[in-house]
Amino acid sequence: MKRLVWTTVVLAAAGAFGQGEKKAPVDPVTGEAAAPKQKEAAPEAKPAAAPAEAKAETRAEVVTATPQKMDLKFFDDALNDYFGGNPKSAAAKLFTFTENVAATDENYAWAQFFLARSLIELGLRHAGAVYLARIARERTNPQVLPKALATLQELTDLPHDEVLIDEQVFGALDLGFLPEDISGYAHYQQGLVDLRVGNERWANTHFSKLPEAGAEASRAKFALLVTRLKTLKRDVPKEVIDDFLELAKDEKLTQDARNDAILAVARLRYELKDYNGAFEAYNLVKLPALDPGRATLYLEEAWTRYNLGQIHAAMGILTTLDAPSFRDEFLPDKYLLRAFIYRDLCHYLPAKRAAKELTRRFADSIEAIREREDLTRDPRLLRAASSHGSTKRARKFLESLEFEGEQLGRYAGTFGERMFSYMTRLYDLARAEGTRVYDERLKNSVRAEADKLLRASEQVRLMEYEVGLKLYERVKKGSKLVALVEEPRLEGKQVSYRFVNEYWNDELRDYRFSLKSRCIEETAQ
Amino acid sequence: MKRVLAVVLLLSSLVARAQSTELENPGSVSAIQNRAYTMDFEFDLGVGTLPLDAFYKGYYPLAGAVVHFNDFLGWQVARGAYSFNVSTGLRDQLERDFAVAPTAFEEVQWFIGSDLLLKPFYGKSSVLNTWVLHYEAHFILGASLFKFSVAQFSPALNLGFGIRLFHNRYVSYRLDVSDAIVFGIVGKAKISQVITIQLMLALNFGGTE
Repeated sequence: MKRLVWTTVVLAAAGAFGQGEKKAPVDPVTGEAAAPKQKEAAPEAKPAAAPAEAKAETRAEVVTATPQKMDLKFFDDALNDYFGGNPKSAAAKLFTFTENVAATDENYAWAQFFLARSLIELGLRHAGAVYLARIARERTNPQVLPKALATLQELTDLPHDEVLIDEQVFGALDLGFLPEDISGYAHYQQGLVDLRVGNERWANTHFSKLPEAGAEASRAKFALLVTRLKTLKRDVPKEVIDDFLELAKDEKLTQDARNDAILAVARLRYELKDYNGAFEAYNLVKLPALDPGRATLYLEEAWTRYNLGQIHAAMGILTTLDAPSFRDEFLPDKYLLRAFIYRDLCHYLPAKRAAKELTRRFADSIEAIREREDLTRDPRLLRAASSHGSTKRARKFLESLEFEGEQLGRYAGTFGERMFSYMTRLYDLARAEGTRVYDERLKNSVRAEADKLLRASEQVRLMEYEVGLKLYERVKKGSKLVALVEEPRLEGKQVSYRFVNEYWNDELRDYRFSLKSRCIEETAQ
Repeated sequence: MKRVLAVVLLLSSLVARAQSTELENPGSVSAIQNRAYTMDFEFDLGVGTLPLDAFYKGYYPLAGAVVHFNDFLGWQVARGAYSFNVSTGLRDQLERDFAVAPTAFEEVQWFIGSDLLLKPFYGKSSVLNTWVLHYEAHFILGASLFKFSVAQFSPALNLGFGIRLFHNRYVSYRLDVSDAIVFGIVGKAKISQVITIQLMLALNFGGTE
């Protein structure tokens, strides 16, 4: 019997030891030991210990800590602050509340939701998104969930954590119980995730559930078409172009998305050498009044016009690209096209000068490529690489994190040390991850830009060679200048403003260049 | 001889400079745009003033209609105004202290007229580097018939200029300043001047943007 008692005691002691060694719960945000259920009633109730001490204390307390039943009045006060237009005070109280009640508390999810709203109103969007994402993951209160998702969806209009919101929340939601508008967005995001991993069939399953009248259905069509284009190896079927054209007229899409669709039409037609069709498509791009537009759009239109033989109009567009709005754009092709136009008009020295302008202007970048330096340190390549696509989105998100991190300092006093250090850790981690993602994307895109620059500089050499030959070509006896191409005269309703190096945004698409050809007839003997 | 040589050298350097610019940036660039606004049939409502007469100032509402044949020529088919006159202190003093009869002061009661509008100027202006304001300026040449308080009716030659600021394709604002050279007012000089300044709200029908 004694032996049995001893065995029981030893087993009990071992069990207690095992419990004692059990790991503290890990904070899903910061990844550190969570200390949420301490006996702290309010941030100002007890001054925080030094970090090392706090950590030890936290571990010790986690073992014994049990969720406190907080006074409901505390929660009500926080809500009063929030609805009374004082999100700063509300955030501090709600943080304390969420840290001190069990996740099963009926007000826990609401407290998280209003904490998130308060943080968003304070300009700490990422911190707000983290709490909303936590609501979506934990799903402790079905009433809060749709509201949290709706707020998250609003956040996606601005730079946001794509992994956290798009992939981990909307990309992984169980869609059975959501209201239609939210489930539409979630289906769209889940379809996109499937498309990214190359599973078009699964993506279609999600997209087929989108309400036809919603914007998501149109965006899904666009995503499907773009993915299909990537998989096409040779000729693009006419139906794809027609589908893009149809999307360009879809009123449910934003003007930006419609412009993207019409640009896709223009580019596809250009690739098929249907320059007239491409030109028509470029003309359908609608810009807001006095908007300078996109440099790539102008350059593509200039190439189209050049291929249509409208070299004066093409040169006019190149003038547009010299505008201050586009001074920082990375467009090596611009110099080449200008050189081509001068060459076609037999103005060889200007052609040579225009081509050399490229190597002069990008000398540092070309040197960096040849010396195999770290291209992300080259300011031009860096700017070009981070000015579009996913790299741009990552940069914008990182910038917003930097800004919000700075903003956070303003609330150090109100938030209290505990909440402030929690938020600081949250932003530090987000910044570190954001930097990693940005660097990874930047590495790929900077390489693509460097390739573009190298190809253009090769073209410059060819151009110089060609122009050199032409410059010293013997003029044959009886040579005549080719008949001048008549430039179109002004029509009745047209007005002409002579360009004197002053760029007006409303004129950027209307420049016309005038230069007589100096070419000599090829038929001369 | 030296002076001639110096002039030749100076001129040759100028020519060389022009050539070098031409070689560096050959060609010229213009912005070719469709006119942002075109007028067609215009109906005007406005207010005006007769500021010149020392004995009274006239303030009048006016109405008019203009047919625009093209962007350069328009015909103000009719315009008319009725003036509400306010005596100046000088006139009051003359009447009070020097017993000058009220009939000695000739006043415009109303006038009608018709003009040609010549519109050679059209342009745009940047406002605070944020908006673009389109305008046109015109010359006025026409004839008027004035009804005076004493001399009854007198014909006049109307000369002036104006400016129009476009608000949208339907609405524009017009400011006209004109000088009516009035012939044969009884008891006064054979020719006298009536200056009018008028501000109008112009409603355009059938124009384009």
